[in-house]
Amino acid sequence: MNRLTTHLFACLALISSCEERKEVVVKETRAATTRDVSPKLSATSDERFRDAKPSPVKGETPDGWLALPATQLRLLNYRFGESGMGEVWVSISSGSVLDNVNRWFNQFGAEPVDGVGLEKLRSVSIAGTSGTWVEVVGEYASGMGSVPKSGFALAGVVASVDGRILTVKMVGPKDEVAAAKPILENFAKSLKIVE
Amino acid sequence: MPIMENLSDPAVQPKPRRSIAGKTFDVLSGFGLATILLLLLGLLTWFATLEQIDKGLYATLNKYFHWKSVFLLPEIKGKIVPLPLLGGYWAGALLLLNLMLGGVIRIRKGWKHVGNLISHLGIIFMLVAGGVAHHFSERGNMAVGEGETSNAAEDYFEYVVEVAEIKSGKPDLIHVIRGRDLVDLTDGASRLFKFPNLPFDLEIAGYQNHAIPVGISERAPTLGERDAGGYYLMGKPDEINAEANTAGCYARVVHRDGTKAEPFILAGASFHPFTVRHEDRVFTVDMRKRLWPMPFTLKLDEFTAAFHPGTMKPSKFVSKVTRLENGSEAKVTIQMNEPMRYEGLTFFQASYGPPGSGPGQRMYSVFEVVKNPADKWPEYSLYIVAFGMLVTFLTKFGGYLASSSRKNRHV
Repeated sequence: MNRLTTHLFACLALISSCEERKEVVVKETRAATTRDVSPKLSATSDERFRDAKPSPVKGETPDGWLALPATQLRLLNYRFGESGMGEVWVSISSGSVLDNVNRWFNQFGAEPVDGVGLEKLRSVSIAGTSGTWVEVVGEYASGMGSVPKSGFALAGVVASVDGRILTVKMVGPKDEVAAAKPILENFAKSLKIVE
Repeated sequence: MPIMENLSDPAVQPKPRRSIAGKTFDVLSGFGLATILLLLLGLLTWFATLEQIDKGLYATLNKYFHWKSVFLLPEIKGKIVPLPLLGGYWAGALLLLNLMLGGVIRIRKGWKHVGNLISHLGIIFMLVAGGVAHHFSERGNMAVGEGETSNAAEDYFEYVVEVAEIKSGKPDLIHVIRGRDLVDLTDGASRLFKFPNLPFDLEIAGYQNHAIPVGISERAPTLGERDAGGYYLMGKPDEINAEANTAGCYARVVHRDGTKAEPFILAGASFHPFTVRHEDRVFTVDMRKRLWPMPFTLKLDEFTAAFHPGTMKPSKFVSKVTRLENGSEAKVTIQMNEPMRYEGLTFFQASYGPPGSGPGQRMYSVFEVVKNPADKWPEYSLYIVAFGMLVTFLTKFGGYLASSSRKNRHV
């Protein structure tokens, strides 16, 4: 009996030691190193989270598009259309042209293409080279847990420029995207890599 | 253990009736277990090699070989393989036990078998080296530009929260909240981090392994994420290359009177720290990959890279550095396969930048910095194993010569 009681107490002690720690006293410190430069104090949220470096991609903002501040994922960032839901952004992506085209198709639940299918897609000018024009209509699920949006469309260009994948992506209500496709094509043509 | 001798031969040893403890000892020290474990380790390596293509190296190594992974199910191309496997760490630990029991304790003793014993001890030493490296080694990287100095390496994966008082525009002593105290703060969990030497504490919650701050006006939160200064943390799927993950969390200052300030975001993907002012004192709170101060400073004097003709395949990277320590200087050359070993640290030539840089461009060199107490142990263990095999060969050869000589005398 005594042994059983001892075991019970031991188990309880073990369980309590595994409980979530609500408080931790921070004891670890380190000295400043060469990596610790003078910090910018009282930075606003925009200063803290938006890259202040000039974008390595420049383009002419089409009439009627609203230029928004760049983000870490969007080197150039715009809104368009009457609904306020149309978005256009320019990014440098990882992977290959085929990877990015199929990623976009996947966001609309469309069948992926292979190398032969990629060759059949239209080529357009972008940043002084040619890129693959992509169009897809349907239910847009951007991923990252967001709610799918029906009646949406995507138009965009994916190109390999100097070893990097440059993407121009337009997403919005399908009618607004259909109307804005010629503008998007001219915008892609106007892009320049400045870095 | 190919060199362990078969002891179950009834001609060698009479087989007494065995107790349960004796039978357990037989199993744990037997050839059968050794064979199964070696096959298992081979299988784990094969599955891990396939799985890391989709899941990335870091996540796969943790799944297959971390001590916390006792059992696992392989996953190939997104499909679970219904084959529960013992984790690699525990397979190695069992093999170590098996070798100690079978290859040291149970093995036949005598001068004829001393070579086998030495070889087994060498393999045990190698397995111990693996365990020591697993538990006690640290890895990071140090990038230094030509003409610049650095005295800190950066961890590849661990994000920490740092709180520093700013004096004369620079951080003074920096308080560090380690990643192990942050990673479980998901799903509404929060923790109060107390700083006895600072005038406030920090409450941290909502940790995400990979997230970026997104402006509410840019993209409205879709999962009820909290607004902190007009931004929220948008979670992202882990990158295959785990080094590219940028962690994030929410924090708020808790004053000594118990009042709490507005929450703010701490993110690996931020450009500046959050500032906290208390009376006339100024503090910064930041999230970054853990910095690892070195006991000396390294200055990159010159970096040269050479490539195989017509390719981007490196033929030679050479970093000429000066190691500065306590007023003394030492010139060292670090290049591929010729690391610098000093004060328990090893500096490997890892890469360089900027990507695509050409002749005449100012470059930086990237070193992988490893602190591994068992750094040279695998090499030493190989010497021991080789010596043991040599002793085995010589004793067998000596025995053969002696028996031949005896036969000749009888003839």
